[in-house]
Amino acid sequence: MTESASASRLQLIENLDLKAAAPLQSEFLSLRHMPLDVDASNVQRLGGLCLQVLMSAQATWAADAVSFAISSPSPAFQEALSLFGAEDLQSSIQQG
Amino acid sequence: MDPLEAIKVTFFQECEEQLSELESGLLAMEQGETDSETVNAVFRAVHSIKGGAGAFSLEPLVRFAHVFETTLDDVRGGKLAPDNNVVKVMLRAADVLADHVRAARDGGVVEEARSQALAAALEALNGEAPLAPVVSAELDDMPGLEFTPLTVSEDDGFGDDFGFTPLAAGIISLEPEGPALRTWTVLLRPKNALYAKANETGLLLRELKRLGDLQVSIDRSELPGLAEMDAEHAYLTWTILLTTDRSQSDIQDVFEFVDGDCDLSITAEDFAVSPAEIGVLGGDEPFDVMALIQQAQAEVQAAPAPVIMAQAFAGPASPPAPAPAPLAAAPAVSVSSPPPSPVAAAAAVAPDAAHGAAAQQATIRVDLDRVDRLIDLVGELVINQAMLAQRVTESGVPRSSNIAMGLDDLEHLTREIQDSVMAIRAQPVKSVFQRMPRLVREVAAMTGKQVRLVTEGEGTEVDKTVIERLTDPITHMIRNAIDHGLERPEVRVAAGKGPEGTVRLSAVHRSGRIVIEVSDDGKGIDRPRVRQIAIDKGLIEVDSNLSDEDVDNLIFMPGFSTASSVSDISGRGVGMDVVKRSIQGLGGRIAITSRPGQGSTFTLSLPLTLAVLDGMVVSVCDHTLVAPLTAIIESLQPKAQDVRAIGPDAYVIAIRDTYTPLIDVGAMLGYRTTPLDPTKGVALLVEGEGGARAALMVDAIQGQRQVVIKSLEANYRQVEGIAAATILGDGRVALILDVDNVVAARRREKARSDAKLATVG
Repeated sequence: MTESASASRLQLIENLDLKAAAPLQSEFLSLRHMPLDVDASNVQRLGGLCLQVLMSAQATWAADAVSFAISSPSPAFQEALSLFGAEDLQSSIQQG
Repeated sequence: MDPLEAIKVTFFQECEEQLSELESGLLAMEQGETDSETVNAVFRAVHSIKGGAGAFSLEPLVRFAHVFETTLDDVRGGKLAPDNNVVKVMLRAADVLADHVRAARDGGVVEEARSQALAAALEALNGEAPLAPVVSAELDDMPGLEFTPLTVSEDDGFGDDFGFTPLAAGIISLEPEGPALRTWTVLLRPKNALYAKANETGLLLRELKRLGDLQVSIDRSELPGLAEMDAEHAYLTWTILLTTDRSQSDIQDVFEFVDGDCDLSITAEDFAVSPAEIGVLGGDEPFDVMALIQQAQAEVQAAPAPVIMAQAFAGPASPPAPAPAPLAAAPAVSVSSPPPSPVAAAAAVAPDAAHGAAAQQATIRVDLDRVDRLIDLVGELVINQAMLAQRVTESGVPRSSNIAMGLDDLEHLTREIQDSVMAIRAQPVKSVFQRMPRLVREVAAMTGKQVRLVTEGEGTEVDKTVIERLTDPITHMIRNAIDHGLERPEVRVAAGKGPEGTVRLSAVHRSGRIVIEVSDDGKGIDRPRVRQIAIDKGLIEVDSNLSDEDVDNLIFMPGFSTASSVSDISGRGVGMDVVKRSIQGLGGRIAITSRPGQGSTFTLSLPLTLAVLDGMVVSVCDHTLVAPLTAIIESLQPKAQDVRAIGPDAYVIAIRDTYTPLIDVGAMLGYRTTPLDPTKGVALLVEGEGGARAALMVDAIQGQRQVVIKSLEANYRQVEGIAAATILGDGRVALILDVDNVVAARRREKARSDAKLATVG
């Protein structure tokens, strides 16, 4: 897997509610096959639909054998992941 | 209207639907259909009413619905067997609930004593002994694993798939007193609608978290790859282990606002969990308990079961579940455990549920005014199309031309549009029939008779405008059938019948009309008594020579009432004459047949719609008239030798050895003063109400046509002999004959001249 230093960067927006799901999906798709570093530092709200997009993206990147990392998660983002029981995504979080 | 009011209106509309669901469900239970689907439907109806009422703070309604719901919950949970007595109480409770809903809507008050009496009766039921154990034996060798099967279903079929109802084996009685920590397994599968309505799974989880300790895991097996997924489709299923001291209904309440928008199951593991065990559960193996149960179940059940169950679970909301996908990271659908029922049965339920869900989605609520406006407009379109066709014909365009052919297509299309639009307003008579069981119960109770109501053909469709006006006549006829038709139980037994009388209400389509029958197996019409009453009231002469049929028809005469004491039930000043008039107002006919000792049958025949009519277009003295086709039996050209004069200006015509009165329509409507020579015109043999026949003389027949009915009363005023008007292709107004009225008018005239003769003689 490629180092995250050379990875493309995707900045998640603050409010990942239902309206954000479709744009988020397109954004991910436009970055497909590239190592990806997802910056979750701004996230204040994460809804079920965007969660699905994130999970699907993570699985798709894994299937493509391209690196996928979530970096600097905001406390709200982390809390949401644990509330949703989204352990897989938590495992993608880059510590430090 | 202020938005809240608008929502309230919708709520009450939905209440009516729920109430009829409730009633039909309870009636099904009364017939022994106590499967979980029926019970769940009944429960849901009450639950939805309570939920909505709570939102509007309709306190009395909520209070009553709550008691009702609690009882139903016991039935659902298997604590209370839905035997006949229980269902009877619940039927009465449903009536009171309906009263509460109507009181809340119309601002009335429900008789408090009655409400309380039933609430008490319901509560008394709750205290009854639980069902006997059914199939728990197999599970007895699983120490410490007695789980309480409190299955809650928010979606058809779902609950069945996971229903442990047969296991409801008195385990509940072991329920520890007071709040104890219990672990609940909440299976939550949001549907697209949940998100579409701006609800959020996250918020639900947050709410659950406030109740206790959560262990959440996601089943992502249905989640497709990023390129294939629809960002607004719900793919995930959550399994939540909630350890709390709160009750199931508290958990249930969290999901109140997503009712129907998610699949939900809440099951309890019936053992108190010690904090130490929570520690274990909170470790790396969140599915500890599940695994245990599944392992235990595996010994009871064949191995493939969990897979099939998983598919059944996926069934209602999504296309066929993908085989456990490469993406499946979480444990394959964390089904709490396969049910002890045969797997095939569970799988069979799923398509039904899917079907039900689809059927629900396929309806919309439309303001009736809009439909009426559409129907009006289509009526205008039909008229316009006819006018256009006529103009084209008049302009001499050959029939084979493209224009004429195009017009034919247009006519075809117009007709189709009209039929489809009419179909929008067509409704099954179920909505009327469903009100009748309650009526029967009440009237039976008041008269002390035992009555069974049998309904048939509830799905028969008829225009909504007709439906709305059917309730009163049918109500009255059923009241009459019970009050006057059926005998008391002891009299019935003495007459060799069963103590329980039967009232049959049926609907069927027959030759473009809807025929509704109300029949009873009672004593039939007491003809000598009817005759005597008619004589006493001066309705007929003492020496009138009346056939049995004539006597039967006397009950339709104004001012006739056979009950010697005016009873509270039928004798509210509304007689059968009013019923007859309201049926005629709908363009319908009413007839009665009765056999002494065997019962009576009232037959209503009504047009399917009040908007269009198939008519025979005829000319009378340069006027164009329309005769309803349904009334016409045949048309013929009278021969001179068949016509006989009776008196100065009355004729009869011999048609196949029967003399039938000949009515000159032109003279009757005042178009001419000298009678038409019968041999120069055409006679339409028509049948009026009660089968009375007459031949209507007209000048010529123009043809048959479907015409759009325009009310004469609404636009002008009522005219004797005329039912309505229509606009013809040439733009002229044509009057539609009221055949019954014409025939009856002729009879009245005859009666008057007879009377005159009698006085002279």
